[in-house]
Amino acid sequence: MTGPSSAVVRVDAAPQPIRLRLTFTLLGYGALALLACLVAPLVGSTPISVSRAFDRSVPFADNIDAQIFFLARMPRVLAGAVVGAALASAGVVLQALLRNPLATPFTLGISAGAALGAMLAISAGAAVALGPISSVPLASLAGAFLATALVYALATRPGRPMSTAVLLLAGVTLNSFFSALILFVQYMADFAEAYRTVRWLMGDLDVGGFGPIAGILPLVLVAFALFATLPSSLNLLSVGADIAATRGVDVARTERRAFLSAALATSAAVALAGPIGFIGIVVPHLVRLMTGADHRVVLPASALFGAAFLVGCDLVARTVLAPVEMPVGIVTAMIGGPFFLWLLVRKA
Amino acid sequence: MAARAQGLILAVALAAGAAAGAQPAARIVSLVPALTEMLFAIGAGPQVAAVSNYDDFPPEVKTLPHVGALLDPDVERILALRPDLVITYKSQDALEAQLAGAGIKTFSYRHGNLDALFRTMHDLGAATGHPAGAAGKAEEIRQQLEAVRARVAGRGRPRVLLVFGREPQTLRQLYVSGGAGFLHEMLDIAGGTNVFGDVRRESVQPSQETLLARAPDVILEVRATRPVLGTEVGRERAVWSALPSVPAVRTGRIHFLNGDHLVVPGPRIGAVTEAFARAIHPEAFQ
Amino acid sequence: MFLQLQQVSFGYDPPSRRSRGAGPHGFSLRDVSLSIERGSLTGLLGPNGCGKTTLLKLMAGVLRPRTGTVLFDGRAIADIPRRELARHVAVVPQETHPAFDYSVLEMVLMGRHPHLGAFRLEGPDDLAIASDALTATGTAHLAGRSYMSLSGGEKQRVIIASALAQQPDVLLLDEPTASLDLAYQLEVAALLARLRGERGVTIVLATHDLNLAASLCHTLVLVREGRVLAQGATTEVLNSGMIRQLYDVEADVRFHHRSGHLTVVPIGRAQ
Repeated sequence: MTGPSSAVVRVDAAPQPIRLRLTFTLLGYGALALLACLVAPLVGSTPISVSRAFDRSVPFADNIDAQIFFLARMPRVLAGAVVGAALASAGVVLQALLRNPLATPFTLGISAGAALGAMLAISAGAAVALGPISSVPLASLAGAFLATALVYALATRPGRPMSTAVLLLAGVTLNSFFSALILFVQYMADFAEAYRTVRWLMGDLDVGGFGPIAGILPLVLVAFALFATLPSSLNLLSVGADIAATRGVDVARTERRAFLSAALATSAAVALAGPIGFIGIVVPHLVRLMTGADHRVVLPASALFGAAFLVGCDLVARTVLAPVEMPVGIVTAMIGGPFFLWLLVRKA
Repeated sequence: MAARAQGLILAVALAAGAAAGAQPAARIVSLVPALTEMLFAIGAGPQVAAVSNYDDFPPEVKTLPHVGALLDPDVERILALRPDLVITYKSQDALEAQLAGAGIKTFSYRHGNLDALFRTMHDLGAATGHPAGAAGKAEEIRQQLEAVRARVAGRGRPRVLLVFGREPQTLRQLYVSGGAGFLHEMLDIAGGTNVFGDVRRESVQPSQETLLARAPDVILEVRATRPVLGTEVGRERAVWSALPSVPAVRTGRIHFLNGDHLVVPGPRIGAVTEAFARAIHPEAFQ
Repeated sequence: MFLQLQQVSFGYDPPSRRSRGAGPHGFSLRDVSLSIERGSLTGLLGPNGCGKTTLLKLMAGVLRPRTGTVLFDGRAIADIPRRELARHVAVVPQETHPAFDYSVLEMVLMGRHPHLGAFRLEGPDDLAIASDALTATGTAHLAGRSYMSLSGGEKQRVIIASALAQQPDVLLLDEPTASLDLAYQLEVAALLARLRGERGVTIVLATHDLNLAASLCHTLVLVREGRVLAQGATTEVLNSGMIRQLYDVEADVRFHHRSGHLTVVPIGRAQ
């Protein structure tokens, strides 16, 4: 056994120790997310007076400024933060799990399953509700869970660890299969329904109150609790499964946990706001370009940056064409894409 | 012998008519439900040979062949029916080209406002040999609209939100009328001020924020499919209580109108306009 | 005995037949028994697909034998928790391609994982150990560089540094010089010899480089078609007869005075 050497050798261009980096990054990105969440409710298609919104002397029922602030904007901002954080983190986890920087939360067919559920609910016009969650989110959650179970069952054989190669193939195949079913449902639906299904696919954060957010929050919290156990294992896993195993990582358990937690976060986010694209790939890469690849930094930073990014995109979506809105999924792609390319070019 | 001679004369007459290009259409295929209704309303019903998959009014169309719709017209069946006029949507370029190749005339329909509706009715009368029927029907509809306008004249003009799409049990995926199109104009005749009248589009998807800001006095929910009935009325009405400052919510002036005729720009718009007016100004109809 | 395999058989699942080396009955290793002494430097020799990498993975506990036992310091490896084992046994794979662009220091610090677990962040002691490992492998000047931008030889040395950061008693290397030029090969050989000499690390390396094995290893294990052909001191095992049996190749094996070890010069395929 070798003991720690007493002669500490100076290392050229040594990056800051992890504790410092983690603190600075979390403070920085946390401040950004907080700022986004504080500024976003102040801006919208209608000018409001913040002092009037917080004026307790006016009854709430008569205070339109307060209602716009608390009933219309706050739930939206909160939904944006939750969905942005969930999709960005799920992207980070899946990219490491699949050892593929191009993986997104939508690669494994989970969002396609969610979309199929939503399409069926829209075209069936079902009006069931479970507490604060109405039929469309409920059905998309069911679709997402079904897809997760299918992909997981395909990638797992009794007595053998999950194969990430099969996971990827099964996910991509299931994605295409569900997409075909979605097209079929759309084709069979009448015009108005078909249009609504298309609109659902563009994503929407105007979730109709705090209820739906509270409804999916437990799922997101469970997913994040699982995410918190992953980062150092993900570092090793993304270097190689065998090397991870010889550094003490329980590879099978980590892979299972990574897949299920990412699936849970994706299901919840898509059920709440539809499949808002680009966040799950652009945010992790932007964060990596800024902080380096260490998942202990990248995962929490992506969650915070994802929240800030989506809240910002939704701010643009609801103001740029006011009083008409732009689907937020279009904004995330239009802002995220060029910004990402610019960063890539600059770095190169 | 006499029957054969008559048949021959008829054939020659038809051929001459086609050559002159003035002969009114004798066999019509309509892919546009609103125009099918018009055809029957102006007296061209007996000439209609086939309709679209979405046609179900008037009841006579139920026994006619259904030959596809906007996205999936069944060209083979249309050709097999040997029509001399096919009513198409403006965007069905490929179909129109195919029909032109077969020497079949097309009447291309473009969705628009009330003026466009009357113009379409006039043109349809000319094309099918029922100019008088078309003029008469148009006059009848105009009178219905004028009667509604007169009925609500002098009363206030409440701010109305006209909803024609919404996800059940929640305020998501709202589609409401903007300041363009026949529904907006009918709302105006019915004595309402469209809260999205300034948005020059037929359809607007408002956020909850804009709904709060626009503060409608009356909410009219038009349900073309999936009617709101019985106990559902209470539940769907309760959904709006998420926006407590909206006057319509506070006064309970939220109305559900059921029926797919409500959104068809056809000959029944007079009755629909009256239904709007009854919801907005119930006191005018007592 | 420090590291011991007792009648170990291993086969990848017969239906998949993924292993190129799978012999008859789907076994890639049959009845292998061998012993590695503490502080020794052992070479695993054998043709492609003979089971060398499988043997290393069994010793590292990554694969579990179908029958038989792998013992580390007298304990069955299957009974040693993963992280505890990783504090004693480190592996350097043939090639390592991370999916993301980690810095060299980050790669080396990942070797501290078995000592830190999932939640503890590395402290000054861990940084000191990482620096020490970088220095020992001559890569201290690369610490801030991106791992992906390094040459093959630099990468290999960084991975060795990362394994050293585990502070292992046993270092298992899979063809550590395969992608290196001559100078780097000598450098890695010198590094391994030094690690054994200075730190008492037990080293097992699988290699195709007979001259490297001859110069570096005290003992050799010759493996063919999943069975151990011979094991023993290099000077006893490495001869032209064994090489013929192992590779079907005729070779001259001579003592080279200037280098001070046996050298192997292949002549041609055995008839």
